[in-house]
Amino acid sequence: MVETSVPAVELRDVVKRFAEVIAVNHVSLKIAPGEFFALLGPSGSGKTTTLRMIGGFELPTEGEVFIEGEPQGYKPPYQRPVNTVFQNYALFPHMTVAQNIAFGLEMRGVPREEIRRRVGEMLELVRLSGYERRRPHQLSGGEQQRVALARALINRPKVLLLDEPLGALDLKLRKAMQLELKTIQEQVGITFIYVTHDQEEAITMADRIAVMNRGRVLQVGTPQEVYEHPENLFVADFIGDTNFIPVQVQQVGDGVQVLTVSGAVLLAHWGEPTLNAGSEAMMAVRPERMRLHRPEEVPQQEGWNAVEGIIRHVIYHGLDIRYEVHLAGGTTLHVRMPVGQGETRFQRGEHVVVSWPHAAARVFRSES
Amino acid sequence: MTAPAASQPRLSHRLRHEALRVLFHIYGAAGYLFFYLPIIILVIFSFNDSRSVSQWAGFSWRWYEAMLQDRQIMLALWNSVFVAVVSTAIATVLGTLAAMALERYRRFPGRLFADITLYLPIIIPDIAMAIMLLAFFNLSGIGLHVWKVNFFGVRLAVPFSVIIGHVAFNISFVAVVVQARLAQMDRTLEEAAQDLYANPWRTFWRVTLPLMMPGVLGGALLAFTLSLDDFVITFFTSGAGFNTLPVRVFGMIRKGVTPKINAVSSLMLGFSLLLVTLALLAARGRDERNVRLF
Repeated sequence: MVETSVPAVELRDVVKRFAEVIAVNHVSLKIAPGEFFALLGPSGSGKTTTLRMIGGFELPTEGEVFIEGEPQGYKPPYQRPVNTVFQNYALFPHMTVAQNIAFGLEMRGVPREEIRRRVGEMLELVRLSGYERRRPHQLSGGEQQRVALARALINRPKVLLLDEPLGALDLKLRKAMQLELKTIQEQVGITFIYVTHDQEEAITMADRIAVMNRGRVLQVGTPQEVYEHPENLFVADFIGDTNFIPVQVQQVGDGVQVLTVSGAVLLAHWGEPTLNAGSEAMMAVRPERMRLHRPEEVPQQEGWNAVEGIIRHVIYHGLDIRYEVHLAGGTTLHVRMPVGQGETRFQRGEHVVVSWPHAAARVFRSES
Repeated sequence: MTAPAASQPRLSHRLRHEALRVLFHIYGAAGYLFFYLPIIILVIFSFNDSRSVSQWAGFSWRWYEAMLQDRQIMLALWNSVFVAVVSTAIATVLGTLAAMALERYRRFPGRLFADITLYLPIIIPDIAMAIMLLAFFNLSGIGLHVWKVNFFGVRLAVPFSVIIGHVAFNISFVAVVVQARLAQMDRTLEEAAQDLYANPWRTFWRVTLPLMMPGVLGGALLAFTLSLDDFVITFFTSGAGFNTLPVRVFGMIRKGVTPKINAVSSLMLGFSLLLVTLALLAARGRDERNVRLF
């Protein structure tokens, strides 16, 4: 990403209201040219509305959408240099595959000969050569998806908008298409803005992710940043598996010192900036960052937290073993230990000590 | 419990079930017979080689020949077709536009009023509609005159009032059929067209119209059939000396029923059946091709 270049898409303080409901609430984003950018959030988070405002299907109530530095104002979809892959593909049922793909070029008056050539190229790109004369209803879900992609890409848009494009496919096909989409994006070098509610999909495909909830963007960052350094409780909870330990903040300084319900003192390197001593909070730790020990074998390590508990469930997962540990005070922790040589195995009912580094712990304001 | 004792109640249950099934079939057949026996008799007697409409005297085409030679009937037939074609064309365009407006703009001031006025002609009795139209033509000064037009050397009688009357009730039927089709159309298809640089005008011609065409065709055929068959409204709104086929047949019946009327009726019946079949095929045939996988 070159910071100095004009963003492919910029949203400046965009608000969208539908009657009483605020669907998108003061969203500002900058998306770099060539970037694979994911808008991630649960349903109703405003991600699709945000995408539709870039495409011109909705107009912002406040704020402005810029495409390559140009304010879009009231421009209708057919005057914007973007194309969309719709959630249900929206292929024209009365046209063949070739006619569907050619539609955009035809509308822009591209010569017939060139259209034919480019349709051929596109079909090759999405590996559907020979399907020219088929109709959409004769195609499988994955094939329809690829036609929808070809129909959008043939116009060489500045930005491609994708609205949950894999939502209707089964899991196996989804995985294959994720790879294919990523490959195609790298091949054509077009900016992709990708709406999804699937955090795994966003993490595996996107260069950067904007996590949305209730119309707001809660965090923007690379998959690694949002996974390893979530900035608020929602992001920590929505992305990946996380253990949450209810705590009370004791001290805020270089790190955060907290007290659990059962009286254990824990430390975290990072806490949300708005935390004060005495406020209720949540300590978040990823299951794979935790370790289990027998009480008599706890190593004396600097910079680690330790709490006692009892193993309630042991689940074998092949690559790892997942333990469910109950702490005094009613908190349940999930711990993931790799299955390797020399790792101690624990039994159900065993008393254990759970430990994790201060660096792996983050403390968030608890919110309703 | 032994086996036979257990199967006893099951057997009687089966019997009762069978008996009910047979009764239902008889009931259904009787219903059909009640509706269609008069029509079958009418068709049969249109081939009767006798002036009598109650005694069979052998097969003959003579009443059909007599019908074809009757200039009054042929003129009435021409009038019927002319009125039907013109009123259907106008009603189809207006009805389709009305359906699109109602489907697209779901909430606007006066929406309920628009719905009511559109559906009214379907619900109110023909006679009420006919009297309203008659009053309208008289009060407005349009009158019931038949316009004589020279159309590229062909002298046409254009029954202005009859055509307006037919358009008035046909709009509703077209609108209802088209609206049903639009309701099941995927609106993202229009968004997709706009996304692919089609302005609203081209979106309409390239995507919306082709997709709602089965509804438009079905509505048009329905309107055409209703127009051909209409008696009451035509009778009230046509001026002196202008007959459509149903009005002509009514005039003939007053002078006595002859098998010639049976022949005319059979012809109209056959034509109507053909149109209804076409309308159903138009509404359905396209659908099968448009089945979507999601």
